[in-house]
Amino acid sequence: MSRPRALDGIRVVDFSWVRAGPWATRWLGALGAEIIKIEWPETERGRLPSSTTPHGMEVNLNTSGNFNDTNVNKKSLTLNVRSAKGLAIVKRLISVSDIVIENFSSRVLQKWGLGYDELVKIKPDIVYVSMSGYGHTGRNHTYTTFGPVAQAASGLTFLSGLPDKPPAGWGWSYMDDTGGMYGAMCALTGLYHRNMTGKGQHIDQSQMVSGVPLNGPALLDFTVNGRGSKRAGFPPGNRAHWPDTPIVNNYRGATVAPHNAYRTAPGGYNDWCVIVCGTDADWRKLVEVMGSPAWAAEEKFGTVAGRLAHQDEMDQRIEAWSATLGKYELTERCQAVGVRALPVQSAEDRVEHDPQLAHRGMYLELDHPALGRHKVQNAPFKLSETPAYNHAASPLIGEHTREIVEGLLGFSREELRAGFEDGTFWPTKRPRFAYMEDMLR
Amino acid sequence: MSDAQHVPGPLAGLRVLELADDKGQFCGKLFGDLGADVVKIEPPGGEATRRVGPFLDDIPHPDRSLAFWYYNTSKRGITLDIGTAAGRGLFKRLADEADIVLETRAPGTLASLGLDYESLSGGKPGLIVCSLTPFGQTGPWRDYLSSDLGHMAAGGEMASCGYNEADVPGAPPIAPGGGNAWHMGGHFAYMAIMAALVSRTVTGRGQYIDCSIHEACALTTESAIANYVYRGETLIRQTGRHHAPAEGPRTQFLAKDGRYVCALVAGRLNPKYVLELADLLDASGYSHDLREAKYQDAKVIADATAHIIDGIVAGFIASRPAEEIYHAAQERGFTWASVRAPEDLLADEHLRDRGFWKEVHHPELGRSFVYPGEAAIYNGSPWRISRRAPLVGEHNVEILCGELGLSRGELSVLSESGVI
Repeated sequence: MSRPRALDGIRVVDFSWVRAGPWATRWLGALGAEIIKIEWPETERGRLPSSTTPHGMEVNLNTSGNFNDTNVNKKSLTLNVRSAKGLAIVKRLISVSDIVIENFSSRVLQKWGLGYDELVKIKPDIVYVSMSGYGHTGRNHTYTTFGPVAQAASGLTFLSGLPDKPPAGWGWSYMDDTGGMYGAMCALTGLYHRNMTGKGQHIDQSQMVSGVPLNGPALLDFTVNGRGSKRAGFPPGNRAHWPDTPIVNNYRGATVAPHNAYRTAPGGYNDWCVIVCGTDADWRKLVEVMGSPAWAAEEKFGTVAGRLAHQDEMDQRIEAWSATLGKYELTERCQAVGVRALPVQSAEDRVEHDPQLAHRGMYLELDHPALGRHKVQNAPFKLSETPAYNHAASPLIGEHTREIVEGLLGFSREELRAGFEDGTFWPTKRPRFAYMEDMLR
Repeated sequence: MSDAQHVPGPLAGLRVLELADDKGQFCGKLFGDLGADVVKIEPPGGEATRRVGPFLDDIPHPDRSLAFWYYNTSKRGITLDIGTAAGRGLFKRLADEADIVLETRAPGTLASLGLDYESLSGGKPGLIVCSLTPFGQTGPWRDYLSSDLGHMAAGGEMASCGYNEADVPGAPPIAPGGGNAWHMGGHFAYMAIMAALVSRTVTGRGQYIDCSIHEACALTTESAIANYVYRGETLIRQTGRHHAPAEGPRTQFLAKDGRYVCALVAGRLNPKYVLELADLLDASGYSHDLREAKYQDAKVIADATAHIIDGIVAGFIASRPAEEIYHAAQERGFTWASVRAPEDLLADEHLRDRGFWKEVHHPELGRSFVYPGEAAIYNGSPWRISRRAPLVGEHNVEILCGELGLSRGELSVLSESGVI
């Protein structure tokens, strides 16, 4: 794997923690940038607490599975940025870097003396991406988020669920994933702009605000037509439209039926398939796949309008058939004739049973010194000339401190040792990992 | 702020050809709003996405789809049937002037028309072509048909979203609405294209990008893959909160005004947090027993989790409107929020402070409408909606005659022969 990559030669100072920021820099790393993750064990959040340490393994700073997947392709420098000496060292690092990225609360970097005004003194064309909960601008900039809070405040939670029930919302921090995407997108956009103009800038990304543009058609329905989402039949579950409510578009494409999830054999927790028929022709194909049952020939099911009007009955009939087939078999039968059916897939399904993801090399293994060899998620795009790939498991905490301090910044071994003794590179009272003792020899 | 009107966006100078339906129009918008000149190429009569509602005043028309309006801001539009020889010729000429071609046709379609990356980049090594398709260009599912719902199923979103059995017995897995499969695919495609552009600033060379929406969705379930890979866990769906290996305390509570509040309390309860919670409740005049000395013991708190969450927190939230709870809690450092419907966001003062809402003029209607704005403020090169979505064929004359040099007569012939 010695092919050139898109971001070869780009260095990122990565102050990010928890999930959204690290998800951003993970991708910059896969694209070839050198990611230097600044960490401090006393305030670290992302490695601990861990709920993804393998059974039987000690939970410590180096054994979180989710941290590993989220932090591949990075180097770790342990550094007490809150000390004068640590701050001077990080400034030296920034002076030879292209991008600074962080996802702290809005004024943290400023308080450290690393606000944009200071960063440009160190590196005039620096691209600075701040990824805070509410952004650095606006009256609520001090408010804090986790994914679910950003999703609630931005309108995303409301769009998920069944009518007349509480919001089902998103079953994970979608805005950690998506906030991370925007962090990486902003960094790349800022970098391109810098390469073209020679000018850096501060890009103020907000996790909560980034969720709002994902509700575009719903927002325009309100600002243009005056129709809000607090209405009968909304959100319509997996359907395009909920029966016995006024026909309106519900912001997931065309208003059609069938458009739902159906149980499949053998009836387990994730044994479901979704089927969507966009046209009457699609419907006729589905009817054939179902074996052309007599009920489906009834005139009322022959048109989109009729199927929408008799959706409950139709869905029950479809499910009586779907429940007799496994979800992959149903998918294959439908897709063979051009019917849009796909299985509900758990994580296990995706990793073990999805032939497409397997073919595309979605989950390739990487060795990690503490966790062992495990599958890691790969990029969903193939760049023909500069492929993105995971080249290294997540770093052990402080694994690259010597490499960076001596190799990149030019300090001596004596200075490195002194920094470990005075609490610059590791808390003085905290036991060191064996690999740290090795790097001090 | 008049100066800001003249500062170009970060992608100024880039030309993008967009040959995209619902799968790729959002990605094109990301480029257009950041300053690229995006030329949308639609079939004669307009792209199928123009037929998707809601519509202006609920009157269906290719120029009145609000979904189309939203996803096609800051683009120019022409019509062109690339299935015809004349259409292909014009497409190639346009590609010669472009930096990026973004396309969402079924795998093999452009190759069959002689418009694939190899054909287009022959005389233009800097060209970047991105195919954004449901399953990518290779593999056993390459030709499968999808939908937003289908991607939410196969990508793993639905397996994580839904209800606790006690809340909604027999509930199906739920696919969150809003067309997010296309957002997920669009974000990754944007990232890949930008990486190729950065690379091009160094090497001068473009490349081909094969981006899969299925993979983008499969990547967007936070820890679900890690839970399985490292612990063999399959997660259950929970009402309004995270998937988990086993049922955990709720985080969504009904407020006095019928809205919900997302209050993350479980997992944070300790003596200090209990006192902070007591301060919040006192400030709102809500009575409680959290000042009792016994709560300064972690074991007592753990045993009283249900009392604190389902009794006190739920009771407090039920006693006040959701927005009041949200701001009172956040001002005291609690990471809570009200669950807003999209229309509630128009009243959000923080968004207004950020200049988030944009007035977009529709000259043909003589009206302006409010559109959502940017995810991030680019302080040195502003994001902006440069124009409303194009009408069908709006820029045929401007681009085909003005830029490619066709005469009006030639344009008429193309129209009469169904090419544009």
